[in-house]
Amino acid sequence: MRVSELLESRRAQWRELEELCVKMEGGSRRKVEAKTAIRFSSLYRSACADLALATAYQLPPETTDYLHRLVGRAHNQLYRSRSFQAATWGRQLLVDVPRRLFGDNYLRLAFGVFWGVFLLSMIMAYRVPGFAEQVVPREMILQMEEMYSEPIEGSGPGLGGGMVGFYVMHNAGIGLRCFAFGIFFGVGGLYAVLYNAATLGSVFGYMATTPQSDNFFHFVTAHGPFELTAVVLAAAAGMRMGFSLVDTRGLPRIASLRQAAQQAVPIIAVAVILFGMAAVIETFLSPSAAPYWIKAVVSVVSAGLLTFYFVVLGYPRGA
Amino acid sequence: MSDSSALDTAVEIITPENIAFRYRVAGPFRRLPAYLIDFGIRLTAWMITSVAVMIAFSSLGLPGFGLAATLIIIFALTWLYGGLFEALWNGQTPGKRLMNIRVLTVEGRPINGWQAVLRNVLRAADMMPLMFYLVGFLSAMLTPRFQRLGDLAAGTMVVVEEPKWFQGVIRLREAEVVRLAGQIPPGFQASRTTARALAAYVQRRPQFSAPRRAEIAGHLGRPLRRQFNLPPETNLDLLLAAVYHHTFVTDRREEERVVAAGSPFAPIATSPFAPPSEPADQAAPVES
Repeated sequence: MRVSELLESRRAQWRELEELCVKMEGGSRRKVEAKTAIRFSSLYRSACADLALATAYQLPPETTDYLHRLVGRAHNQLYRSRSFQAATWGRQLLVDVPRRLFGDNYLRLAFGVFWGVFLLSMIMAYRVPGFAEQVVPREMILQMEEMYSEPIEGSGPGLGGGMVGFYVMHNAGIGLRCFAFGIFFGVGGLYAVLYNAATLGSVFGYMATTPQSDNFFHFVTAHGPFELTAVVLAAAAGMRMGFSLVDTRGLPRIASLRQAAQQAVPIIAVAVILFGMAAVIETFLSPSAAPYWIKAVVSVVSAGLLTFYFVVLGYPRGA
Repeated sequence: MSDSSALDTAVEIITPENIAFRYRVAGPFRRLPAYLIDFGIRLTAWMITSVAVMIAFSSLGLPGFGLAATLIIIFALTWLYGGLFEALWNGQTPGKRLMNIRVLTVEGRPINGWQAVLRNVLRAADMMPLMFYLVGFLSAMLTPRFQRLGDLAAGTMVVVEEPKWFQGVIRLREAEVVRLAGQIPPGFQASRTTARALAAYVQRRPQFSAPRRAEIAGHLGRPLRRQFNLPPETNLDLLLAAVYHHTFVTDRREEERVVAAGSPFAPIATSPFAPPSEPADQAAPVES
C-alpha cells in the first residue's frame, strides 16, 4: 500500500468535509438539511480517525497539519456555542443570586465599608467646616450648589427623558468598571467603594449645611436606595473575583478565579438592572414637582423591595 | 508531538471522539487588528444608529427619547458588543472572523453566553492603563495560552482557525531520483522521525539553492550513502529525494502490504464511523 494512494483515497472525503465546513460557516447553518448534517458528522468522525492514525502511518507532516486544521474547523461547526440559556435567567436572578448573596461575606464587607465611610464622611462634612473641600474638588461643590440653587418645581423629566440614557450609560458604566477592577485582588473594587462612599458622604454632609439642602434631598431621596445598592453590589461582585485569587479554597488560583467569576456574573447583572431602575426614577420622578412625601414613599418602597429580595428570597432553605 | 508543543504556540484538544488535535493559539498580532476592526465597526454603528435614532424620534416629536435611546445604544455597544457577537456567532466578532480567530474554552469547547459577556466586561481591566492594554498584554505574555485577565476569569482562549490547502505526497519527476530510488535496498524502512525529516526537507527544497541543498542534505545524506554503499559522488540532495520517494510513493515490501491491509486506512471504510464511500463526483448533488 502506498502512502500516496491512501491519501488519494481519503482526499475526496476530506474535500467534501471542507466544502461542508465552508457552507456551514457561511451563516446558512439553520437551513442545513438533516441529511447534510448527518453526512457532515460522519465525515468529521472519519477525519478524526484519519488524524488519529496519521502519525502511526507516517503521513507527511504537512498532511498531518492539514488534518489538524480540518478537524479543528469541523469541530467548531459541530459543537457550537450555546449562547444564552434565557430559560434559566429567571431562576438565576430570583433564586440563585439572592441565596448566594445572603451569606456573602464580600457583600457584607462592601456594604459595611460603604455605609461606614459614607456616614463617617457625612458627619465630618456636616460638623467640620472645610472637610468636604478636602475630599471633593472645589469645582464639583460649586457645581452642586449651583445645580440645586433653584427649588425643584418640575421642569419635566430631564432633557425630555433623555437623561435616562445618560444615567444608564454613566452609572452602569461605573458599576461595570468597578466590577472589572475588582479582579486586581479585590483592591479595585474596594477602592471604588471607598471613593464613592467618601465622595457621596461628603457631598451629602456638605449640602446639608447649605441653604440648598432642601432641594438636594428633594432630588436624591427617590432613587437613592437602588443606586447606592447597585454600587455596593457591583463592588462586591468584583471583590468576589479578586479575593478568590487570594483565598482559593484549595483550588489552583486560576480555577478558583474561574469559579468565582462564574458566580459573579449574575450578581453584576442584578447590579446593572438596579442601575437601570434607578435611572428611570432619577429621570422621571426625582426632578418632578411631585410632593416630597411621594418621593419618600418611593424610596421606602424600593428599600423594602431590596430587603425582600435579599432577606426573604435569600433566606437559606433546606435544599 | 508533546515535545514540540513545549516551544510552540499549539494547544492540544481532546475531542469527545477521543481524538487529540492541535490548535494554534492566537497572539497579539492577530488579536490587535481584530480589536481595531471591531472598534471601527462599533464607532461606525454608533454614529449611524445615533443619527438615525435621533432623526426618527425628533420627527415623532420626542427628541428626549431619541437621546435616551442613543445613549443606551452607546452603552450597549461599549459593554455588550463583543459579548453578544461571541455568544451568537460561535465565539467570533466581525473582526475576529476577518482575522480567522475564534474564542473557545480552554477545554476546546464552544463558549456560552456568560463567558462571552464576562470576558468582554473584564476588558475594562485589561485595557488599563487608559487604553494601552498593558495589563492584558502582560497577562497574555505570562500565560501559555495568551490569555488576558478576561480570558483567565472566563476560562477561554483565542485560537487561530485558518483553512489550509491540502498537501499530499510530492511527486518527484526527476529521472535521477527514480533511478536512485531503485538502488535503495528494498528492505530499507525509514524510521518515523526520519520520515518526518525527509518530508519536511522535500517540501522545502525547491526554495533552496544547490549549495544550500548540499549543505542541509549532508547531515542525513552522508550516513545514508554509507549505509547503502553508494558511490561517494552520489548527489546527497537527490539521494534524500529518492529515499522520500521510496518511503512515501514506491510500493512497500510484500509483508508490509499484508500489515497495511489490516491497518489504518483499510478498516475505516468498514468501520461504523465511516460514511458510505461516495465517489467525489457524487458529492456534488449533496451540496446543492
